Amino acid sequence: MMDALLEVKGLHVDIPLSAGTLHAVRNVSFSVNRGQTLALVGESGCGKSLSVLAVMNLLPKKARWHAEKLLLNDEDLTSTSERNMADIRGSRMAMIFQEPMTSLNPCYTIGNQLMEALLRHQKVSRSDARDRAVFLLEKVGITAAASRLKQYPHQLSGGLRQRVMIAMGLMCGPPLIIADEPTTALDVTIQAQILALLASLQQEFEMGLILITHDLGVVARVAHRVAVMYCGLVVETGDATSLFENPLHPYTQGLLASLPIPGKTMPGEHLGSISGMVPTPIGEQHGCVFRNRCTYAFDDCSAGPVDLREVSNGRTYRCLLSPEVCAQNLAGGQSL
Amino acid sequence: MTKKVLQIQDVTKTYRVSAGAFKGKRPLHAVNGVSLEIEEGSVLGLVGESGCGKSTVAKIILGLESATNGHIILDGNPISRVARREMTRRVQPIFQDPYASLNPRKSIGSIISLPLRVHKVGGRADWGKKVNKIMDIVGLPARLKHSYPNQLSGGQRQRVAIARALIMRPEIVICDEPTSALDVSVQSQILNLLIDLRKEFGLTYLIISHNLAVVEHIASRVAVMYLGRIVEESPTSDLFKWPQHPYTRALLASVLTPEPRKGLPETHLGIAYPNPIDPPSGCTFHPRCPKATELCQTTPPNPRSDAGRLVECHYPEQ
Repeated sequence: MMDALLEVKGLHVDIPLSAGTLHAVRNVSFSVNRGQTLALVGESGCGKSLSVLAVMNLLPKKARWHAEKLLLNDEDLTSTSERNMADIRGSRMAMIFQEPMTSLNPCYTIGNQLMEALLRHQKVSRSDARDRAVFLLEKVGITAAASRLKQYPHQLSGGLRQRVMIAMGLMCGPPLIIADEPTTALDVTIQAQILALLASLQQEFEMGLILITHDLGVVARVAHRVAVMYCGLVVETGDATSLFENPLHPYTQGLLASLPIPGKTMPGEHLGSISGMVPTPIGEQHGCVFRNRCTYAFDDCSAGPVDLREVSNGRTYRCLLSPEVCAQNLAGGQSL
Repeated sequence: MTKKVLQIQDVTKTYRVSAGAFKGKRPLHAVNGVSLEIEEGSVLGLVGESGCGKSTVAKIILGLESATNGHIILDGNPISRVARREMTRRVQPIFQDPYASLNPRKSIGSIISLPLRVHKVGGRADWGKKVNKIMDIVGLPARLKHSYPNQLSGGQRQRVAIARALIMRPEIVICDEPTSALDVSVQSQILNLLIDLRKEFGLTYLIISHNLAVVEHIASRVAVMYLGRIVEESPTSDLFKWPQHPYTRALLASVLTPEPRKGLPETHLGIAYPNPIDPPSGCTFHPRCPKATELCQTTPPNPRSDAGRLVECHYPEQ
């Protein structure tokens, strides 16, 4: 068993509101190894972004978090000081944000913003930092890299800006990269390129990558391991192949059935859908969080919280039904 | 022979944009000679990357922008000669962002009934009944009538937008990215609803989207747009089975389906979408095209049509 690069166990994020406490993330555990891609996937509001913001200690001030275990290379991050976190962010784990136009500062040149992290974390000269910036811009496929350093974010296209964001994340050579919806704002043709780029850089530098997305297509093509989140809980985990080919949890099954797939779904026919709405994350949950939308719900589902069950190594799901019954449900659903 | 309810003939839209300080304005051809026809009861999908002009086409049809050149013909009459009121009764839009397209200060009932009030259809008592009926059809619970948009989920808001579009029983609905702002499970609900409504009311749709999987699912014909031109147009199944234009091939290759064994596709497209102010010479796609030759750099290709398909390329796939 390889040592995990990042290990998160029992992470909770709560946001106190006037109406009660919003449990945005409940008892979430995941780990990432070097050279591995973990995808956190789920619909908006499921807590995927807040989970990693907690890891980076970048949560909004209002939010509270605690975790049983939060280890980065065996260093405990639950009790570390903000000063130490500032040293860790950027140098040992870096984040690539969703919207490159809002996360790049419009008042500074690309070069300035690229070099900032390296100058902050390491004792290097400006000219060395510049060389590193040019090297990485070329790595991420930007031509005429040296002249780009003098440009401002608004002079670049969306795809280029996203490439700059990736290069920025890599400046200090962090072993762990967290990418929050890195391609959502991009066109489909650029999306494939950016994902291929991330995957090849990850292999080259043996980085761990946490990919946060709502796009199941992206997850299937890029991730090694997947954790599906619903309403603050992880409802299913597994390696990408077995999770997509044999989804167990009714929510995962429902999500996959609701996607139109050229050549597989019948044009003009009804797509699968998940009826109802996500329950409010405010207050305590009793029973299975998915039961109000689940076709297979029965009395026991509302009795008490449902635990994650392990089917095989690393393959878990949070449902009272046995894996065999879940597999049958899937087969039955497809023939309908 | 089915009736062509909407024809777009050689429409051009040119904006004059400033190219920088002291440089004067330069023309930007957002839409450059686009012709499309939509048959009654069919669904035409319009796809392309951002900035290709697909939303401008929608705005021109809806009368939100005026075309620089060309004609929009509704049921045989140019829309310049159709009264504005009649036009809006027959053609209605559904926009992308249900958070931005609903007035936050109006109740749902008021938003949905606005078209009735504008067109002075029936009396006050009638409006209530019609609103209840259409809310039922699009799957909105009647209790939401007195709610406000901020109390609704994204899917419900999009249903409100659909109800508002359909309350006048239009013939044509222009959907600009109808599901892009929605979550996956909600997207499928809205697509199912659009499919049902089309059958029930015999609607004609123009669906504008960058999501090819969505377009494949719902459209009967697809037009692919690149830098203001339609580069390929054909029946959906033909386009997906035998794409003729290299750009269409690349677009199809970049659709990421949830099939883990397939890995990431190679699109061979290079990085940059060209700046529409400085479009490339000849065929505007040539800098990104794997098959480009000298001819492509100098001469724009003429549209070739054959057996209901149109392609604008010097070397189309056979």
